[in-house]
Amino acid sequence: MAVVVLSFFALPIPVFLLWLVGILGGLSFIHYTFSQNLFVYVMKRLAEALFVIWVIASLTFFLLRVIPGGPFDTEKALPPEVIANIAAKYNLDAPLHHQYADYMLGLLKGDLGESYKFLGRNVSQIVAESLPVSLQLGTYSLLLAFLIGIPAGLFAASRHNTWADNAAMIFAIVGLALPSFLIAPILIIIFAFKLNWFEVALWLGPEYYVLPVIVLGTGPAAIIARLTRSSVLEVIRSDYIRTAKAKGLSHQVILYKHVLKNSLIPVLTFSGPLVAGVLSGAFVVEQIFAIPGMGRHMVQSVTNRDYPLILGTTLVFSIMLVLANLLVDILYAYFDPRIKLS
Amino acid sequence: MPVLKDFGKISKKLMSWVLALGFLLAVSSGCTRERRLEYGLELADTLRINILSEPPTLDWNRSTDTTSSLIQDNIMEGLIQYDLKDPDFRLKPALATEWSSNEDFTRWVFTLREGVEWNDGVPFKAEHVLASWERLLNPQTASEYAYFLYSLKNARLYNEGSIKDFAQVGAKVDSEGRIVVELEQPKTYFPMLLTHSSTFPIRTDVIAKHGDQWTEPENIVTLGAYNLKVWDHDRAIVLERNENYYGEKALVKNILAYMINETSTALNLFDSGRLDSLHTLPSRELVHLKRRKEYRETGIMATYYFGFNTTRPPMDNVLVRRAIVHAVDRKQITDMLGGGQIPISNWVPPGMLGYEADVGLKFDADEARRLLDEAGFADRSTFPTITLSFNTLEDHRRVAENIQAQLRRNLGINVELANEEWKVYLRSLSTNPSHIYRLGWLADYPDPDNFMGIMTSFSDQNYTRWKSERYDELVRQAVAEGDPAKRQALYVEAQRILTEEGAAVLPLFAQVNHLLVNERVQNYPVNRLARFIFREVSLK
Repeated sequence: MAVVVLSFFALPIPVFLLWLVGILGGLSFIHYTFSQNLFVYVMKRLAEALFVIWVIASLTFFLLRVIPGGPFDTEKALPPEVIANIAAKYNLDAPLHHQYADYMLGLLKGDLGESYKFLGRNVSQIVAESLPVSLQLGTYSLLLAFLIGIPAGLFAASRHNTWADNAAMIFAIVGLALPSFLIAPILIIIFAFKLNWFEVALWLGPEYYVLPVIVLGTGPAAIIARLTRSSVLEVIRSDYIRTAKAKGLSHQVILYKHVLKNSLIPVLTFSGPLVAGVLSGAFVVEQIFAIPGMGRHMVQSVTNRDYPLILGTTLVFSIMLVLANLLVDILYAYFDPRIKLS
Repeated sequence: MPVLKDFGKISKKLMSWVLALGFLLAVSSGCTRERRLEYGLELADTLRINILSEPPTLDWNRSTDTTSSLIQDNIMEGLIQYDLKDPDFRLKPALATEWSSNEDFTRWVFTLREGVEWNDGVPFKAEHVLASWERLLNPQTASEYAYFLYSLKNARLYNEGSIKDFAQVGAKVDSEGRIVVELEQPKTYFPMLLTHSSTFPIRTDVIAKHGDQWTEPENIVTLGAYNLKVWDHDRAIVLERNENYYGEKALVKNILAYMINETSTALNLFDSGRLDSLHTLPSRELVHLKRRKEYRETGIMATYYFGFNTTRPPMDNVLVRRAIVHAVDRKQITDMLGGGQIPISNWVPPGMLGYEADVGLKFDADEARRLLDEAGFADRSTFPTITLSFNTLEDHRRVAENIQAQLRRNLGINVELANEEWKVYLRSLSTNPSHIYRLGWLADYPDPDNFMGIMTSFSDQNYTRWKSERYDELVRQAVAEGDPAKRQALYVEAQRILTEEGAAVLPLFAQVNHLLVNERVQNYPVNRLARFIFREVSLK
């Protein structure tokens, strides 16, 4: 949490803090997997993940060669001598299976290659510079989505079928239906130009973060609110809650121990796809607010046919998605003992 | 249910916390917001511009795009520069103080300025120029703009790899330290090529030391009016005045160049006072942006045209091509676009030698119909549906649809539109262009040869597959002609062959640059060459 707060206020994050978070997180994860006898399961899933990523890398590699237009096709056609020199420099004149083998060997060594468009910049360097920004944006948006979505859902459920419930749900539908490229200009006009509270674009500090985070977080918040509401309503009517009440348990215990925990399971289920949604939705938001994140590279590298950069960004995104899904699956077992992972 | 009531209370509390936190943040950030700039710069002596994207490279031997060259033009200098204030862009001395050629423009001698130092203190020498040219042409560098110097004797062979020794290429330093250049063929405008960043002198010792990282601020060595101070990748570049610049020092101390690629975002930043200028405006908002006092516009040496694939029936029939050109009212298109574009029927844009408004086929619907009848399509139902292609972009679509409608109305023929993503489109052009294809051309240097050369039979850019020996010959003659009046006459004749007799192309209009410049900025470079050199800019 401290890391998030520090990064939000654009304060330098002490390296030891990052290490601490990493080590603590890793240790507790390992402890948890062992205590739940999940070690074999996790290993199996990781092996599967590796396979999935290999398939994605290979598919991307070959699909790129199939689509027409190459990285060095330019408006001003080049003389054949120049084209030959470029092909030789980037090894594009080698047979395709050689290029593939070279690329895969590079991957094994952790080398993503050098960008064709941004000369002299390694793909790993580009990712290292832009990914943290995207992660920042994504993390704040997800936090916002949970912080608003869950209470709003609880609130609506507690006022089930009253005007407050309806209002909250209409609000959620609207939040879900409005695309970010519409919400963004509206918020910019109100909060940046009229009220002068926040900045119109760029990514330099808290006053710059607020608008993009709201724009990116609104949709997920709306979904979470609706999910929480319906799930609470379902849980509250279930037999075990009635039993709990009959036993004479206190409100507090019923609420926190039984209702809240159980009604959050569907929200958790949804978190995997949610991460994907936030990551891919980030491109539009990054574009509108001129945020130097990875979304820009992801899209523009395709336009530029910058093969190494396309492959690099695709791989990084796939890895994040695969890991997010794995994490969600493991957390399931924690929250819902009925689910057995094996 | 009581349990639910509790939920209501808790969630209300939670929500109010979130709201309160948000409000606090809003107010606190609102209060602390002051006009300080990033990278420790002061607003009063910093010009803030937008360069749209990360420059692909600052290595001037290897870059090919306008973003990179904007930065390079301010940190480096060539042997020669344009007088950007002169309407004809006459050349003036830069690192070379004088130059001359022999009578047939095949041998040029450049005398270099003395006492110039690189910003690491090393004196500038002729060897730095030759090292740059060697590197530009070296096959290992794989520079896209190597062909810029193909006019040097044996340069093409060196770039191809069939000559290994650079000494055989037509560029030497003589005993007096002057640069002597031998050309393959006469070229009256050769000095213009030396205004282009790809030919600027370079420090190969610095490159050898730092490899690909030599363009980072801590490594790069330059000699222009500004130094590269910060390169924060994907975010911004900061240039700082070079206090040891040999000429008049720059007036503004710093230039802060942001990389914002969404034009409407950049406009928002301009409106909120975070940018001093915009070089690209959102085309849909031009109508009302034009009324603003910060608005500036200038014609640029760029054209927008359609080419005919003259090998694909029925476009192989010159009468059909002429009919189509006659059937298009260019003014209607420029009015629709509303950006002040200038309709042209000849090939060379206005403001350049060779421009002649009178050349080319004009809008004449009756003549168009007559020509199509004569071509054997009096019965319009026998005319096949033809395809007009363009690369995917909103404005290109609007132009294409307009032409489609005009041809339907004026000639009664059906045109099918096809759009492709840019790189796919380029590939289609070089393999099998459709009946009519869209393209544009931006001058590399303000000499008509740059435009006329495109349509020669041996040009890599000529996708029309149209050939004319007479045209080739005229273009060749004109390059070797020193007398501007005679040169003009040769180009007019050549253009008549291209646009009237052969009707291989349908020139539409010359482009216009639209800018917004904050009123605190004076002397902002707005010129037809779209070169942004900030040395003389000042701030109020």
